[in-house]
Amino acid sequence: MGVMIFVKLAWRNILRNKRRTLIAGTAIGIGLAAMIYMDAIMIGMENNMVATATSTFLGDGQIGREGFRKTFEAELTINNVDEVVKDLAKEPLVDKFTKRVLGLGMISSPANVSGVSVIGIDPATEPDLSKVDEAMIMGSYFEGDDSRQILIGRKLAELLEVELGDRIVVTVAEAHTGDLSQEMFRVSGIYYFNVAEMDQRMAFVRLDKAQAMMGLTGQAHQIALKLHDNSIARVPGHDLWMRYSVNGNEAVGWTTLLPQLDKIFNLSKFGILILGVLLFAIVSLGIINTLFMSLYERMFEFGVIRALGTTPFAMGRLVIFEAGVLGLISQIMGCLLAAVTLAILSYVGIDYGGIEFAGVTIVDRLYPEWQVHQFVIYPAAVLLFTMVIALYPAIYAAKLTPARAMRKSF
Amino acid sequence: MSESKTPVIVAQGVTKTYEDNGVPVEAVKGIDLTIMPGEFTAIVGPSGSGKTTFLNIISGLDTVTGGRVSLDGKPLSEMTGRELSDFRRDSIGFIFQAYNLIPVLSVEENVEYVMLLQGIAKSVRRDRVKEILARVGLADYAHRLPTKLSGGQQQRVAVARAMVAQPSLVLADEPTANLDSKTGGELLDMMRDLNRTTGMTFVFSTHDEMIMERATRLITLRDGKVASDEARA
Repeated sequence: MGVMIFVKLAWRNILRNKRRTLIAGTAIGIGLAAMIYMDAIMIGMENNMVATATSTFLGDGQIGREGFRKTFEAELTINNVDEVVKDLAKEPLVDKFTKRVLGLGMISSPANVSGVSVIGIDPATEPDLSKVDEAMIMGSYFEGDDSRQILIGRKLAELLEVELGDRIVVTVAEAHTGDLSQEMFRVSGIYYFNVAEMDQRMAFVRLDKAQAMMGLTGQAHQIALKLHDNSIARVPGHDLWMRYSVNGNEAVGWTTLLPQLDKIFNLSKFGILILGVLLFAIVSLGIINTLFMSLYERMFEFGVIRALGTTPFAMGRLVIFEAGVLGLISQIMGCLLAAVTLAILSYVGIDYGGIEFAGVTIVDRLYPEWQVHQFVIYPAAVLLFTMVIALYPAIYAAKLTPARAMRKSF
Repeated sequence: MSESKTPVIVAQGVTKTYEDNGVPVEAVKGIDLTIMPGEFTAIVGPSGSGKTTFLNIISGLDTVTGGRVSLDGKPLSEMTGRELSDFRRDSIGFIFQAYNLIPVLSVEENVEYVMLLQGIAKSVRRDRVKEILARVGLADYAHRLPTKLSGGQQQRVAVARAMVAQPSLVLADEPTANLDSKTGGELLDMMRDLNRTTGMTFVFSTHDEMIMERATRLITLRDGKVASDEARA
C-alpha cells in the first residue's frame, strides 16, 4: 500500500485549516523555543559562573598537600614542591600555574581588627591565574620591589577604616613553631571583586614575604593551574590529577574544590528536565486537542475513507502522519523563534552582573550559548513526542467503524 | 436478471436492532434477498423503512443482529475487520449522496485512491484513471480539486472512483439527491451504460423517480421488511 498517499493526505489535511495549524504550531513552537532558550541560558550561565569561579582566583584546578583544603594547617605544604613545579613546566595539559601560601591571620589598623586569610602570591605569575590585578579599584597591583605592599578588599578597607598608603599590621602564626609573626604593611591597593568572601576576608602580600612570615621559605600550600582544556577539570579521575596526586599531595579540578557549584549545575539541569516535562505536558494537551478537533471535524470523511477500504492501521497511521507534519511545522517555527531570540541575546547579553549564586558572583554579562544539540535533540524530541502523543487520537481513529463515523451514512 | 449462478448478495433473515438512548429500535426485521450479478436494483421506501441500515449491512459497514449476509459467496460474519476492509476495497464501490470526495486530493488522486490501497502498479493506475475519467467526461479536470467542480461533476468523480477498481458491486446512496434533474438523468444514463457494458451490479437506495424508472428491479422496504420485490424490463 502506498505510504506516500498518506503522507500527502496528512500534509494537505494539516494545511487545510491554516489558522488552526498556525496557532497549534506556534504553541508547540514556543514550547520548543523555550526549551532551547533555557538550555542556552543554562550553558551560558554555567560557563559564566565556571569562568568567574576559576578565573577570579581558584584556577581550573589546584595541587596541594593532602588534608590542607580541609584543615588549612600551615605546616601542610606541598611535598617536593620544586619537583612538582619542574614537572608542571613540562606538562602539556597545563597552560599556566602559580604558587601560593595561605595562612589564617589577623589584620589590624588603628581603628579596627579583623580575621583574614593572608595569601602570599607571586606578582609575576598570579595574573595568569586570577583577576586580582584587574580587580584593583584604588592604588595598583604589586609594583616595584617593596615587600611591605599589601592588597586588601574594599569591604576590609572600610572595616579597618584605612585608605591607600595607610599602615596596617598583619599577624600570622609560624607554620612549624606556632610562634606569632607580625609585620607592618602599607596598603598599596584596594580591590573589589563583588564577592563578599574575597572583599572582606582576604589580603594579598608577596609570596616571599608570606613565606618568610610563616617560616615556609621555598614552600607553597597551593599551586593553582590553568589548563589548555578546562573540561579536564570536570573529570575527577583524569590522568592529570592522578599523576600529581602522589607523595602525599593531591591534585583536583574545580568541581572538587567547589562541589556546591557542580551540584547546583546538576540541580539546574534536573530543574530544566522537570520544566521540560511540564512544558511538554502542556504542549501535548494542545496537540491532542488539535488532532481531535481535526478528527471530529472530518468524522464523516474518515468514515468514507474507511468505507473505501482503508484499514484501521492505515487510518491510525494517517493521524500519526498528520501529527508528524504538525510537529515538523512546529519544529521550524520553534527553531526560528529560538534562533532569533538567541541571536539577539547572544549579541546584547543579559545583565546579571553582581548576582551571587552558589557562592559565585556573576561578573560579566550573561550570554546564552548556542549549541548544535539544542537544534537537533530538542526538535527531534518534539517531533517524536508529538507523534507518540498522537497515538491516542490515532487509536481512536483506527477503532472507528465506518458506520459510526459516517453516522447518517446511507 | 443475470444468468450467473453465484449471487452478488445473499441476505438471509437479516435483522438489526439499535439501542437509541437505551431503547431498542428494530430497524431491519428479517430481510431475505438475493441480488444477482449485473442487476441495476433500486431499494426504495419511506424514511425509517430500513434502507440505510440494510445497505450498511450488505456493504459490511455495519453488523447484523441476526441472520446472515454473503457477498460473492463469502459470509461477512466470518471476516475480520481487516478482511472486511480489504473486501470493501476490492469488491465494493461506493457512491454517496454528498459525493464525499477527499477534498485535499485532486480528481485524479481521488479516483486513484482505491487502486493505491490495492497496491496496483503506477502505470496501470494512470491508464485506468485516464480511461475512466474520459468515460465520465472529466478528462480535462484531472488535476482540479473537488471544490473547483460543480455538484454534477463531483458526482461523476464519485462514480469514477467507485468503478475504477472494477468492483463486483456498486452501492449508491441517493446519488442524484443533490443534482438537478438534467444532470441527475445524465449521470444515471452513464451508470446504466456502465452497467450494461461492464456487467457491474448496481444497488441504489433512493426516492428518485428517475432511478426507479431506469432500475431493472425495484425492492420496496417498509417497516424493516421487504414489502414488494418487482423485476422490471
